[in-house]
Amino acid sequence: MELEQKAAQTVEKKVRTLEFKNISKAFPGVQALDDVSFTAVGGKVLALLGENGAGKSTLLKILSGDIPCDEGQILLDGEPLALTSPNKAINLGISVIYQERQLIPSMSVMENIFLGALPVRSGFVSYKELKAQTQAIIDEFGLPIDPTVPVAALSIAHQQMVEIMKAYRRNSPVIAFDEPTAPLTDKEIDILFGLIKRLKEEGKIIIYVSHRMKEIFQITDEIVVLKDGKFVTKLNTSETNEQELIKAMVGRDIGDTYANLSRNDKYGDVVLEVNNLTTYAVHDVSFKLRKGEVIGLAGLVGAGRTEVVRAIFGADPIISGEIKLEGKPVKFKTPRDAINAGIALCPEDRKEQGLILWAPITHNVSLPVLKKLKKFLFLDAKAEDDLTLGAIQQYSIKTPTLDKKVLELSGGNQQKVILGRWTSKLVTTKVLILDEPTKGIDVGTKAEIYQMVCDFAKQGIGVIFISSELTEVINVADTIYVMHNGRITGSVKREEATEENVLALAMLE
Amino acid sequence: MNNLTRTSLVKRLVRTQAFSLLILLVAMILIFTALAALKGARFFTAKTFIGILQDIAVPGFLAIGAGCLIVSGNIDLSQATVGALSGIVIAIGISWWGLPWYVAVLIAMLFAAAIGLINAILINEIGMAPFIATMAMAAVIRALMQLLATDSGGALQSTVTFTDPALTTIGGYNIIGDIPMTIVIVVVAFIIYGIILKKTELGRSIYMIGGNRRAARLSGINSKGIIYFLYINCSVLGGISGLAYTARAKQGSLQALSGDQFTGLTAAILGGISFAGGSGGMGGAFLGLVVLKTFYKGMLIVGSSTYLTLVLSGTLLILALSLDVWSQRRQRKRLGI
Repeated sequence: MELEQKAAQTVEKKVRTLEFKNISKAFPGVQALDDVSFTAVGGKVLALLGENGAGKSTLLKILSGDIPCDEGQILLDGEPLALTSPNKAINLGISVIYQERQLIPSMSVMENIFLGALPVRSGFVSYKELKAQTQAIIDEFGLPIDPTVPVAALSIAHQQMVEIMKAYRRNSPVIAFDEPTAPLTDKEIDILFGLIKRLKEEGKIIIYVSHRMKEIFQITDEIVVLKDGKFVTKLNTSETNEQELIKAMVGRDIGDTYANLSRNDKYGDVVLEVNNLTTYAVHDVSFKLRKGEVIGLAGLVGAGRTEVVRAIFGADPIISGEIKLEGKPVKFKTPRDAINAGIALCPEDRKEQGLILWAPITHNVSLPVLKKLKKFLFLDAKAEDDLTLGAIQQYSIKTPTLDKKVLELSGGNQQKVILGRWTSKLVTTKVLILDEPTKGIDVGTKAEIYQMVCDFAKQGIGVIFISSELTEVINVADTIYVMHNGRITGSVKREEATEENVLALAMLE
Repeated sequence: MNNLTRTSLVKRLVRTQAFSLLILLVAMILIFTALAALKGARFFTAKTFIGILQDIAVPGFLAIGAGCLIVSGNIDLSQATVGALSGIVIAIGISWWGLPWYVAVLIAMLFAAAIGLINAILINEIGMAPFIATMAMAAVIRALMQLLATDSGGALQSTVTFTDPALTTIGGYNIIGDIPMTIVIVVVAFIIYGIILKKTELGRSIYMIGGNRRAARLSGINSKGIIYFLYINCSVLGGISGLAYTARAKQGSLQALSGDQFTGLTAAILGGISFAGGSGGMGGAFLGLVVLKTFYKGMLIVGSSTYLTLVLSGTLLILALSLDVWSQRRQRKRLGI
């Protein structure tokens, strides 16, 4: 408390600084942060920019006291901070606002805002005072929020506002935002930016993580670019442009990667046909996939791309519509049925849905073909080793032993283990669905995965490629279907696809 | 690249928790031998070890069932109560209903299987948390036992004795000296379940479900079916341990196995079967059980009171659980997940 007051007093006097000094952090198989140093100053919004896996979220996690760094320190106004736990970080004046809300849904707005500092009168919480104080903050921000309603009853945007007010109430000199606009509408984004401007005018140090270029230019003053865990450059927003930033993020011309792909140019018969598919999340989706074709599903997060493939795969119930595999209508009740019919899915969240992290590579590769590995009653360990070795060689997976636990591999190698699972000699994959296969993977491995996708097509597999990265999906897929609000809003051939025309379909109002 | 192999067997064995348990067991035997000598008693005798083997026989079945279930990331708190119920059903079946022993045993096992099935339905279909569903089930079973054990005169019989030469002869049969035959059956069961877990498709699927149920399902594993099997299996093994108890004690008792309520669980966790699921095995569970029962026996011989021993064994469970959670957290932190 004392510290907070002191912090509040010094705000007026001098510009505050938050210095990241030589921060390094390693996870098994990947150097997440490598000697990163830069300084953020009060009264300015600093953008942290970088591709997936560049180290932005690791840096935020270290700042919020969630994980310790291996080396280096963070200094506030020249004083090193002991960020040993999230609670400690909050008390030291750091508020990190994550995409996932850190609120208690069943409790009221005012209780959430004052959590840990409820006004007490003679031993009891004074709700009168609590309400008055909360109302004062809400008024200051000019928001139409009732302090007494439970947070769960608010819209996602308003929940985020509550989170910001919580940080404001704590008088945190440092406020960091992690992709705050992802779930917001344009109007809500305007409100959020209004709030950020206010906080900025009060001299707060604001760190803003986002992938959206437009916003970066709209709201930030400075930009720090990270790449593969290293500091690349710090720029003034007013003195740079999008091209320069992309070049700094990627580190080389990405055009080449796509131009050098060796693609498949012979399509076979239609392997998968989807007619008027409707589930709880998608409406009237139809498309055809030929053997050897790569189709892309593009769209914003929440557009329903994942839901389409989950329905095809038998993981989500279908309300109406028809799916034909090689011309025959099929109905899959479970993923097992779909797999037996020759459909394979690499799910969007590798760690949560794809891998058995604590199990060895061998077990992860053999997972869908255990039945075929049987010798009499038992699993044939030799055959399993062969299978795994095949995958390791085919995809050059970097590992010291066959039975290394998957969690000790890097993201790229983990993804290759999943690919190995679905393309081993024991599975007959006719349709391969890749949901965000390059998420959190370094640029080099990404290029390898693009070539793998083309190679699958050459083998006559029909590939469905889902990605949130526009450049990627319009350059890898042969035909791009764009989704918005659970519907397909249009399709474009790769030759005609540009970021602009795909984005226009994805944001259709 | 071509000569990539698995980690060597020796390395893998040394890394298991079972290996640390073996060291713990040896240390425990040494300490108890020394402590007993100080008190003028003797720990390191054949009688002690035969006693430990006798103590293992009944809860051994519990540890197998609980172990398999925990590997899959599930838990059954009603298992020991099912054992007591099956004992009551067998005793009442023989002495009150006049059934042949094998019919009584069959009915008891059907009861056990039905309870396992209901547990699995509550968890699989209704979506209840396993520990809540099975704890509630335990309460129902306890009441059901009392209902069954109320005689025609309306009096509650806390124990029901029976005489059946065939059953009691089997249950009381000893091989070499005082070593009960049951222990042989238990050890064989441990070995068979160990092989099932490590060497068969079913066993592998259990590990994969425990490791990540969603990923296993999306890879074509029939996780629902396997969970049904595991709960029924766990419950029936509970029933079998009740049978072993009842056949030897020549009576069914409301209090049967009450001291072993958490024994199966503790043994499994001690043996390295993590609550997080997907790890450990039968060898560890068996050693965990041996450690636990050696601890009981040792405390008894050095003159600790039964209640103190119970407090300490409860503490042991908490310690094992803390270690389990702590090592999980440490690894997660290291990997940043």
